[in-house]
This record gives sequence, structure tokens and C-alpha cells, in this order.
Amino acid sequence: MSSVRGAVPVRLTAGWEGLRGHPALARAAGWALFVVVALTVLFPAFDVNWQDCLIRTTPFVFCGLAVAVPARAGLVNIGGEGQFQFAMVVVTAVVLLLGDSLPAIVLLPMLVLAGLVGGAAWAGIAAALRVLVNLNEALCTLLLNFVAPLILAYFVFGPWRDASAFNLPVSKQFPDAARLPTYGLTQLHLGILFALVAAVVVWVMLDLTRWGFGARVVGGNPEAARRAGLPVNRIVFVALITGGALAGVGGMVEVTGIEGVLRPNIGVGFGYIGFLASWLVGHRPLDLLGSAFLLASISVAGDSLQINAGLPSTSVYVLMSVVLLVVLAFRGLATTRGTA
Amino acid sequence: MLLQDVLAGTVRSGTSVLFAAEGELISERSGVINLGTEGCMLTGALAGFAVANATGSAVPGVLAAAVAGALLAGVHAFVVITCRANQLASGLAVSFLGLGLTSWLGQHYVDQSIHALNPVDIPGLSSIPFVGPVLFHHDVLTYLGLALGPLIWLFLFRTRAGLILRATGESGNVAFAYGHSPVLVRYLAVMTGGALAAVGGAQLVLAYTLNWVENVTVGRGFVAVALVIFAGWQPLKATLGAFVFGGALALQLQLQARGVDISPFLLNMAPYLLTLAILVVASRGRAQRPPEEIRAVFGTAGA
Repeated sequence: MSSVRGAVPVRLTAGWEGLRGHPALARAAGWALFVVVALTVLFPAFDVNWQDCLIRTTPFVFCGLAVAVPARAGLVNIGGEGQFQFAMVVVTAVVLLLGDSLPAIVLLPMLVLAGLVGGAAWAGIAAALRVLVNLNEALCTLLLNFVAPLILAYFVFGPWRDASAFNLPVSKQFPDAARLPTYGLTQLHLGILFALVAAVVVWVMLDLTRWGFGARVVGGNPEAARRAGLPVNRIVFVALITGGALAGVGGMVEVTGIEGVLRPNIGVGFGYIGFLASWLVGHRPLDLLGSAFLLASISVAGDSLQINAGLPSTSVYVLMSVVLLVVLAFRGLATTRGTA
Repeated sequence: MLLQDVLAGTVRSGTSVLFAAEGELISERSGVINLGTEGCMLTGALAGFAVANATGSAVPGVLAAAVAGALLAGVHAFVVITCRANQLASGLAVSFLGLGLTSWLGQHYVDQSIHALNPVDIPGLSSIPFVGPVLFHHDVLTYLGLALGPLIWLFLFRTRAGLILRATGESGNVAFAYGHSPVLVRYLAVMTGGALAAVGGAQLVLAYTLNWVENVTVGRGFVAVALVIFAGWQPLKATLGAFVFGGALALQLQLQARGVDISPFLLNMAPYLLTLAILVVASRGRAQRPPEEIRAVFGTAGA
């Protein structure tokens, strides 16, 4: 697909014809148009706050990148959900251990690292099993999604439960040093910038480096990659744990930027929504910023729907899954016609 | 008696997964992986519960479940067979469609009650000590489930239709060359699989939990997909796998009921970890070859 695009001669004609020769530019223009329409028409109409939307976009970007990186090597990581949850546990452990003794400038980088390591470790289980016994990573990461929230629940209902919290299953409040800085009096936190940076870094990693090229070859045809002397197992392993690490940073950002405590049900479903976001844009990291924003709009609108119309929060999955199914169907038809 | 209670619970709680796994097995044998099994189970659970609630009888509920599950699986079939989209992505989306639809439509059924599928004793057999309570004091669907593995084995390996189904899973082109439509075979297989998963979901709410809650299956459909791989696409081994999962569930519940001093959260992990463990063991051994048409989806990198 991409090689065909690359072969399209560069056309410098103006307007629509010009955009057709530059799919990346066309997509960027499309996303820009969408953001403008959302901010000026959709959000006021549905009473959606753009700040909430931006805040919700952040974890979706990280969970989407967690899918996009392994996808480049032909791997399906459905485990963003579990990697996100497990990373929050690791981050909280570090906060509870060191939070009172370190200044923010030292503590926050350590917490980012904790998120990276936590997410990578959880994905590492699936990565190791994939490489060692060729266990399908999609199923493995999917099953682990049901385990990670139970680990979180074990800690907040048990050893980490704050005695002063009226019997609620929450950890004690994070100290200020363990909270991401916010902009002014808003809830807009530094994590939003992290997400932007992460998307650009992943784009560079996948599209401009030798590793990214190797991953693409492995994803295209592992047998050819092996014969060409590429370290297939190493690329598979690194792709999966990088994905996990990205989801882990998402968890770190959510628990330190928004919540400030560990409790059950933080970010439930975010991993799956990130999966949808990445598939919507064919795992292109920069476009993911747009699809994550789109799904965040639906999700935030769903929150107000839930409050106003009394719908369960999971109802938004209906809209999101229908969007993805329609996109998958159309893209599938288009590719089939192209190759037939 | 702990062992008797656990074994009886194993059979009862394994049945829903058993139906889903056998359904998924039929689908995969035709060349289509359906991660939407989880959604089909949920749809079946709600359809079964709602109709049983409305009619006051469980039997129409089970039938409605089968129809609803087949329809939802039909969405997956359309997207992957007709439109040729990625099977794992479409399946997961279908699961979330099922989850969203059922939590939305099901919210008024949360406090409702139903006439459950009651256990039926089999004269003579049920009074055998130990074996009776374990095997012969169950609902009708559980008895049907016990027969399902052998029946599907007979269908797949001893009938012409089963041969065509397996041939389609190995190579759609070869099946086509012999005059069979791979598209038709796969649609039928995927929708039958969805119907079976939905009947499993119906058994879950009509004979096991006896109430409806949002996301009542908590991953049983995904476990079913995993069990098919563990089973090496063999129906009898899939039955065994379902009861291993059921056993872990039952043991965990019995331990909690008896007040064992282990965190319930850690105990709740056991069924999923056990499923993973048997998958690992199965992949280490002389692994069964998957049907050729789904090998591309599962990928062979790192093999």
C-alpha cells in the first residue's frame, strides 16, 4: 500500500489535485478540518468542554501508540488495557515508597520511568511467550487484561488502603511532588505534551529509523525477514515491550495528572479505545493524534449523556465500535478492489 | 464435601465456556477467527434473560439467544468475509458492539428475575453417590453441552458437510474448485458459532448467575477463543479445556465460600492465569497445526 503511495509522482498542482498527490498532507488537512468543526459546531452543540476532550485524548494517544508500534511488526497488542493498569500500580508503589522524600524534579522522571517499566514488564510476559513458545500475542495480552485490574484491586482493597478514606478502596493521596504540573487553574496537565512528543518520537522511530524499516519487513513477511538476516525475534520482542511501555506512560500520566490517588476503575476501557484509535488510522502515529481526539470527543460526550440521560458509560462503545466496523469494512473493500 | 462441590460446580460453570469454545471451533475450522465470541455470549445472555423474563419460561429465551448471537456474528462475517477486513480487529470491535448494546439495552433488567433453567434429575443415575450430584443434577443445557463435543467431532470428521467445512478452512480456493462456495460455508460456520456462543451466554444467566449484570461474561468469550487454540482445533479437547476453566472458577468460588484466607482478587485471577498456563503448555508440546486459512491471521513471526 505504502509503496504504491510512494510511487505516485509528486504533483504540485493546486487545491484538491495537489492534495491527492500528498496523502499525508491531505490527511493532515482532514484532521485540521475535523478539529475546527468539532470546536466550533459539535462541542457547543453537545455541550462538550474542549479541555475535558484534550485531557481524555492523552491516554487514548498512549494506548493507541501501544498498538501502533507492535502493529508495524505485524503484531496485535490488545493488552494496552492491562499494561495501562499494571503501570499505575508500579507508579503508585514508587510514590508510596519515595513520594514524601523527593522533590518533584527528581520524582516525576522516576515516575515516568516506573510507568515505562511497568507497562513494558506486563507486555514483556506476552513478548517472552511469543518469542519462546510462539504463543499468539493477541490472546495472551487479551487474557492478561483480566488479571491486571485484579492486581490493582488487591492493593487498594488491601495493603495500600487509606484508613482515613471512609472505607473507600483508595490509596492515600499522592504528595504534590508526585503530581504532574497543570496549566494555571485548569486540569490541563503536562501529560498532554508528553503524548504529543511520544507520537512524534514513535513516528520517527517507525518511519525514519533502520529499526522501523526492519519492523516493517518483519510485519510484511517474517520468513523473508529471517532470510535477509534480520533478528526477527528481537524485533518482535522490542516492538511488544515498546508498545507496553507507551501504554504504561499513559497510565502514569492518568494517575499522576488527573487522579492523584490509586483507586479501582481508573481508565477502564482506555486500552481498548486506544486499540480502536490505532486501527482507525492504519497505525500511523501522527494521524493517531486525530483519531484519539475523535474518540475522546465521543467519550466525553458520552459522559454527559450518561449523566443527563442515565445511560451506562459502556454505551459509548456502541458508537465507537460501529465507527471502526464501518471503517474496516470500507478499507477492506477498497484494498480488495485495488489488488483484484 | 469440597471435591464433590467443586466438580459439580466445574460442570455447571464450564458449560457456558464450552458452548462458546465449540462454536468458535466451528468458525475457525472454516477459516475465520471470531474474537466477537465475547460479544455473542453477552448478546445471548441478555436476549435469553429478557425473553425468559417476558415469557416466564426459559426455553424461548434460549432460542432468542441463538438468533441474536447468530445475527451479531453475522456482522463479523460480513466485515471479514465480504469486506475482507482484519479478523482480530473486527472481532474485537464486534465484542465491544455487543458489550455496548447489552449494557445499554440491559440496564432495566439488572434487578429483574427469571424462571431459571432448573436442574433436572435423571432417574437412577442422579442417585448414584458422588457421580450423581457431579454429573446428573444439572440444567438441560449442561447435559446438551456434555454431548456437544462428541456431536461436533462426528459432524466434522464423519460427515460430508464437515469435510467441506474443514476443506474450506484449509484452502478456500480448493473448496471453490470442487464446487463449494467458501463464502457461504464461512457465513454459515461463523453464524452457527455465534449462535452456540450465545446459547452459552444464555446458560450463564439462566442457569448459573440467575441475574443480569453489565458485562456478565467477564472475558469468558475470549477465554473460549484461547481454549480452541489449546485444544488444537479438536472438539473433544475443547470440552476438556472448558472444564479446566470451569474447574478453576468453581474451586475459587468454593474456597471463598469456605472463608479461606486468600484475597478474593488473587483467587479471581486463577481462571485466567490457568487458561494462559495451559495455552503455554499446549504450545510447548507438539502443537496441532491450525487450519491453513487462519495461519496468516495468527502470524508465524518468531516461529
